[in-house]
Amino acid sequence: MKSVSKSLLASALVASGIALTSGAYAQAIKVAKIVELSGGGTTAGTMYRNGARLAFNEINAAGGIMGRKVEIAEMDTQSQPAVAKAMTVKSIDDKTDVIFGPVFSGSILVSMTESQRAGIPNFTGGEAANLTQQGNPFLFRSSFSQSMGMPKVANYLANDLKVKSVAVIFINNDFGKGGRDAIVKELGARSIKVAADISTDPGQVDYSSAVLRAKQANADALFAYLNEEESARLLRELRKQGFDKPIVGETTIMGAKVIELAGNAANGVRGHVGLTVDAPIPAIQQFAQKFEREFKAKSDHNGIKGYFSAYAYKAAVEKAKTTDGKAVAAALRNSCFNTKTNPGILLDVCFDANGDIDRESFLVEVKDGKQTVIATLPPLVKR
Amino acid sequence: MTLSKQHLALLSVALAALLIAPSLLKSYGLYLLTLWLVYIIAALGLNLTVGYAGLKSLCHAGFMGVGAYTVAILLKAGVSFWLATPAAIALCFVLGLLIGFPALRVQLHYLGFATLGFNLLLMLFFRNEEWLTGGTFGIQNIKRPDLFGFSFNGNLAFYYLVLVITLVSAALLAYVLRSPWGRAFAALRDNPIRAESTGVNITAYTLISFAIGAAYAGLAGALFAPLVNFIEPAPFGLGMSLLFLMMVVVGGSGKFYGPVLGSAIALLLPEYLRFAKDWYLAIFGFAVVAMMIWLPGGLLSVRERWLLYKAKKASEKNATGVGAV
Repeated sequence: MKSVSKSLLASALVASGIALTSGAYAQAIKVAKIVELSGGGTTAGTMYRNGARLAFNEINAAGGIMGRKVEIAEMDTQSQPAVAKAMTVKSIDDKTDVIFGPVFSGSILVSMTESQRAGIPNFTGGEAANLTQQGNPFLFRSSFSQSMGMPKVANYLANDLKVKSVAVIFINNDFGKGGRDAIVKELGARSIKVAADISTDPGQVDYSSAVLRAKQANADALFAYLNEEESARLLRELRKQGFDKPIVGETTIMGAKVIELAGNAANGVRGHVGLTVDAPIPAIQQFAQKFEREFKAKSDHNGIKGYFSAYAYKAAVEKAKTTDGKAVAAALRNSCFNTKTNPGILLDVCFDANGDIDRESFLVEVKDGKQTVIATLPPLVKR
Repeated sequence: MTLSKQHLALLSVALAALLIAPSLLKSYGLYLLTLWLVYIIAALGLNLTVGYAGLKSLCHAGFMGVGAYTVAILLKAGVSFWLATPAAIALCFVLGLLIGFPALRVQLHYLGFATLGFNLLLMLFFRNEEWLTGGTFGIQNIKRPDLFGFSFNGNLAFYYLVLVITLVSAALLAYVLRSPWGRAFAALRDNPIRAESTGVNITAYTLISFAIGAAYAGLAGALFAPLVNFIEPAPFGLGMSLLFLMMVVVGGSGKFYGPVLGSAIALLLPEYLRFAKDWYLAIFGFAVVAMMIWLPGGLLSVRERWLLYKAKKASEKNATGVGAV
């Protein structure tokens, strides 16, 4: 009798164990990270992936989202739009609940049509202005678009540096060209002359002629807008040729990875950043420490974007009380989230109807190989 | 045209597999399969230029870009896909003739550099002529074709369309290669002087091999644009031209089915290696290096090497037999 009850108990335990685990598996939330892990976007993609990974590890350790574990698939786009599209299709085949990435604007531009068709929320690190102008209700940014960042840079050039002319160096891809168009428009509106308009190639190694042209333009300041690795090479060449005018940029050129690659050449560079681990905000400082402990490298803005995206998704699911794509997207649109109820999002944030975000941002300068915040700028729209 | 029984059997098995495959695949697999067919068309053309006529061309992706942009621009202007595609092929054919001219003066790696320059030139054109090509923002929402009211917009329908076009263009190329033209191309590759002395017009055949190769790339581009629905300059850069050359060489340069195998390796192998996470592209690279070391004639040279090995064994046996007597 005793043994019978024991075996009964054992089988009951096993059965309930199976039920529990299978239940947990059936309910796991599927998350796809589709990012640049090779090719030209490796720096940005890896940072974004790591930020999101850190966040989901924390979320899982704390019991998941609404009691459901998160199951993560990571895929490489090789920094190619066609591959990004293929990976997005693949994750939709695998019935993912949400997609994070790609980070490169050219890639998300292609892949987001697939996530839109499937009705799956898609977070991106892309900053090109046109992304959120396609009327896609499932696309959400994790950082400012260029059309929101550039006015702040132009204001800084006009009001703080009081320059009359600017030389512009940009990288000729969708990201760089979009930024160049935005800043030229903003400079024009403030009667600042564009003394030189210099185009450079993605993956370019030699910046001597670009820098020479910038020097010969004899402008009051230089505005540089390139991807991370290209920014570092440009900064080294600028120092080599003894360029002595203010170098101003937007986000990328003050990034942690650029400072690491450019070394001393990055000192003195200043401009506007949407996100920085050096912001004087305790939550961001804490994130920076956790990130550095986990990945043995300092996070840049893309790391914060990944971390933020994961927690923004969590907040939206909890608000919608479901993982249904349409409901989650609706919960994000025209909504604000604050750090009191969602500490993971790091800064109070509002999404508008297009999926663009608004929040505080920072004016920074690189001093002794470190990004230093000069001023904190308020959100564009006061709420 | 006669095919051996073995050849015919293999061909029908492959065809049957291509017809059945989509029903076993999800949309991701179907997308890859369609992309593979598109690459096959381009690589078939390059195989004619590189493998049969022996001209080192490094601007194949550029030609594909011309095809893709031509179709995308014409579609946006309201022209039908069925008119835009022949236009793309014709434009690439003419460009191929033009780029063939330097090939009359320079050869081998010098020709490689000349064509490389041409690819860069095309890239710059795609990127900087924003009024026409959309610059780095590319051209979005490229529609898939329809015919007599039947839409090829669905992934499955588009796959079968590309399959039919691939088979027709492969059959056409096979026909050309079996004609006296094909023999003339091979003669041009193996010994141009002797070819000329036997009456092969070297000038004409050099130009025509470039032009046909380019036309195939143009057709591939014309299908690539509606497949991805979006084009920008990046996929038509030098890297892709090198990848096409790799497809031809790894598969078996100068062998008809070489590009079929080569493009499968270039496209599908990295996908199957994805389980290796961060290492998958490195493993892919090593695999290609290893293949080039042990199989310099490409994968399709395995059979020849095996026959050669058997013949060598047999002759050794004979030789020792003679010695014993």
